[in-house]
Amino acid sequence: MARHSVCKVHDVAVGALTEVKVGRSPIVLSRLPSGEIRAVGGRCPHQGAALRHGCVSGTTGADRPNELTYGCEGEILRCPWHGFEFSLRDGLPTTPDSEGLALRLRLYEVEVEGDEVVVVT
Amino acid sequence: MRVLDADVHESFGSIKDLAPYLPEPYRGWIASGAWRGFSQPFAYTSPGLGNRADVRSKDGSASVSDYGQMRDQLLDPYDLGHAVLTGYFYPTGLKLQYGLATALAAAYNDYVAEHWLAKDKRFIGSVQINARDPDAAAREIDRMAAHPQVRQVLLPVVDDIAYGHPQYRPIFEAANRNRLMVAFHHTTFAQGPYGMGLHYMERHALLPLAMMPQIISLICNGVFDAYPNLRFMVLEGGFSWLPHVMWRLDREYRQGRIEVPWIKKLPSQHCRERLRLSTQPTEDITGDQWMKLIDLMGTDDVLVFSTDYPHFDFDDPNAAIPRSLPETTREKILWRNGAEFYDLGDAPKSERPLEAAAE
Repeated sequence: MARHSVCKVHDVAVGALTEVKVGRSPIVLSRLPSGEIRAVGGRCPHQGAALRHGCVSGTTGADRPNELTYGCEGEILRCPWHGFEFSLRDGLPTTPDSEGLALRLRLYEVEVEGDEVVVVT
Repeated sequence: MRVLDADVHESFGSIKDLAPYLPEPYRGWIASGAWRGFSQPFAYTSPGLGNRADVRSKDGSASVSDYGQMRDQLLDPYDLGHAVLTGYFYPTGLKLQYGLATALAAAYNDYVAEHWLAKDKRFIGSVQINARDPDAAAREIDRMAAHPQVRQVLLPVVDDIAYGHPQYRPIFEAANRNRLMVAFHHTTFAQGPYGMGLHYMERHALLPLAMMPQIISLICNGVFDAYPNLRFMVLEGGFSWLPHVMWRLDREYRQGRIEVPWIKKLPSQHCRERLRLSTQPTEDITGDQWMKLIDLMGTDDVLVFSTDYPHFDFDDPNAAIPRSLPETTREKILWRNGAEFYDLGDAPKSERPLEAAAE
């Protein structure tokens, strides 16, 4: 395991994406509303779009057609290309997945040391 | 091998045959010839004028009104275990006079019950409705569901209805509470995206393009999710398009779920679990191609055999499904998938719980 000091704590905000590089690998960071910092692989697992151009948002729910609810603000990352949604809580897509196309974000362990954000790879 | 035929077109000899089953004033209207029924907006080009040429109807139309003839040409020689009567008189084609259309649907149902269903226990019946009045259609479904041979609601695919629209929910509610399945069949009004084309061949080749939007509409508007007990059968609408529609819908869902979060499963999963497609007209593909297609569908549960008797593009049970298919797959297509769809287990339908009967 390697530890990489990638940025300052104040560089990572709720609702925003911060890209860092570990070696040549891009990693994007965002802060969940709960305060936790998430670090995920910087390329979309679908077709490789640079997730730093994506958006952090909430997401919708509905028990009946045309009656949308909205929640999980700050916990959803959407790919800048196709809009695929992933939860920053667990890296899983918001859609039920199929065996043929397993899509999930790669989550990295994050530690805060002083005002430094450390990503463990 | 047992055979279930999912698409058999019974008819009347003349629309005036419905008059005794109609209330006034519609009885008088039909008896006097005030309306002479639907006329297809094209000429048939087949030797039998739309029918197999060895099936002649009294009025020369593409239909059969004689149970004995159907028994002798279809039910007995092919030893069909069950034949699903799907009609081809669809009052939803009337874009006005909804009261007449609804009454005609009920009259047709009563006519079929007496002249067809009562004559042969091998028949499975469909409820015909006027879909343009969904509440009336629901009442007709409730009424006909009591018939022990009725297993499905027939939704005609016309040129201006996508059945996922919320206004048609009473129909699905009624099917659901009566434990009926839902089948879709084209009509002489069905169109492709740019109309009916300029030739019969063109119109006929476009029919699958009238079916795909129904499945897309049902899934996108949450009908599959709202009624997990309902299953859906596309009749005579092609089947080799299913992999495309499943893949396309899955992709659209992954990128657009935020708009339609009431969809709770991958559309392909909905299709594999609860959508069935009848095989006629088969597309004369090889056994290897059948298996490739089934592989792409991800299951051999989907395909259900049908003949389309008495129409000219009839599929023969002994010839249409290649014998080179694995025995279990061929048996599923010819019998089991349909038998499971119509719940033809050991328990007769009358012993199954019916919510409507309890209400």
